Amino acid sequence: MMSSNYTPLDNQNVTGSVPAAADSSGHVTVKFTESNLQTFPPTAAQGKISGGSGPPRDADDTFSKTATGSDDTQQSGWFQTFSIAAYKPYFDVDTSDVVERIIDSLFPFRGSFTEKIAEQPDLYGPFWICTTLIFVAASIGTFVTYLSHKLQNKEWDYDINLVTWSAGLFYGYVTIVPVCLYLILKYFSAPSGLVQLFCLYGYSLFVFIPALCLSVIPLPIVRWVVAGVAGFMSATFVALNLRNHIKSAGERWFLIVVGIFLLQLALALVLKLYLFTVTV
Amino acid sequence: NTLTEPVWDTVKRDLSRIVSNLKLVVFPNPHREDPGKALRDWDLWGPFFFIVFLGLVLSWSASVKKSEVFAVAFALLAAGAVILTLNVLLLGGHIIFFQSLSLLGYCLFPLDVGALICMLKDNVILKVVVVCVTLAWSSWAAYPFMSTAVNPRRKALALYPVFLMYVTVGFLIIAID
Repeated sequence: MMSSNYTPLDNQNVTGSVPAAADSSGHVTVKFTESNLQTFPPTAAQGKISGGSGPPRDADDTFSKTATGSDDTQQSGWFQTFSIAAYKPYFDVDTSDVVERIIDSLFPFRGSFTEKIAEQPDLYGPFWICTTLIFVAASIGTFVTYLSHKLQNKEWDYDINLVTWSAGLFYGYVTIVPVCLYLILKYFSAPSGLVQLFCLYGYSLFVFIPALCLSVIPLPIVRWVVAGVAGFMSATFVALNLRNHIKSAGERWFLIVVGIFLLQLALALVLKLYLFTVTV
Repeated sequence: NTLTEPVWDTVKRDLSRIVSNLKLVVFPNPHREDPGKALRDWDLWGPFFFIVFLGLVLSWSASVKKSEVFAVAFALLAAGAVILTLNVLLLGGHIIFFQSLSLLGYCLFPLDVGALICMLKDNVILKVVVVCVTLAWSSWAAYPFMSTAVNPRRKALALYPVFLMYVTVGFLIIAID
């Protein structure tokens, strides 16, 4: 029992739970250890505040540090898939890089795309080309049906589903087909990086943007020709680049490449039929 | 003590903050070029109100499928703001997540005005003109903040998606009738 340590209550003025300081021994000297405070001059690039010292730019500075986790803690395990820092290397491109890759996708017979992106594939191009394509497809499709309805003096209502369906089509195509291709290539032991495949497919869709813009011309034969040419260019782009890649791994390439070629043509066909078949 | 003040005082304070933020972001003022000064006192009420208002105006303008239109508009604007902010962060830019959301929300104000005008007058030529003007205004409002947030060699990469989103919204405004 610790009764020896207790002073009886009536002997003390108890204020709160802190016992009064013993007044028997004069004063109590409080000793602090030597402080280890070191001041660092502000370095150039330090997290969010890259402009040197100064008041924080925003009251919620602490919030931003945890949101990006740019220079401190590497989150371990499966958390990493959800942190921005994990995807930063795939967006490490400049404007000139992206423009160069886009121009490259317009010349399908060069076949040198895979080498160019092997070191540094980017996901910026595929994502924003897809998004632009969705917008262009939805708007041109709407405009075309609007024109044809107005020319025949019929009632026309905006079909909001056009946006959602084209979003599903394009995002789905660029996500699912590369994943399947990745698995197939792995099975045939000619592995290609998954991100490189996303990159290839994303840039291959670029040629559809000018094609869709040209499809506004209301002649059916023009539309079929434009869709055919664009589909052919896009499919050759994917097929040739894939063939170069698989050849360098020494495997039989024919079936896979032909399959991919036909698939891309099928996409062009679906695009043409879905968006431009005018049912008045 | 904000807990015991009258409700009107709280509301008035929030409203005056929204108005002052709006003046900083959307209208010409001497602090625009300095992104550190702009929107120090950011809030999310203003952007929320503008997004909902735009969704409502588009929904009222539509003659069929009103609730779908509202849903698509709201989802597009909210997800668009988040994706644009993530885009800048991934490109290695330095912004603060919610401050950027706040700014993109405030920049919708010109498009709100445009949508309201388009709802009231139903002339296609007028709609196109109004939407073009307000779209340019919105892009101008968002430009300084976005362009200074990233490396100058990637400026176009950060600005293009902003422009794309505003063009999409503008297109929705024209198309809904």
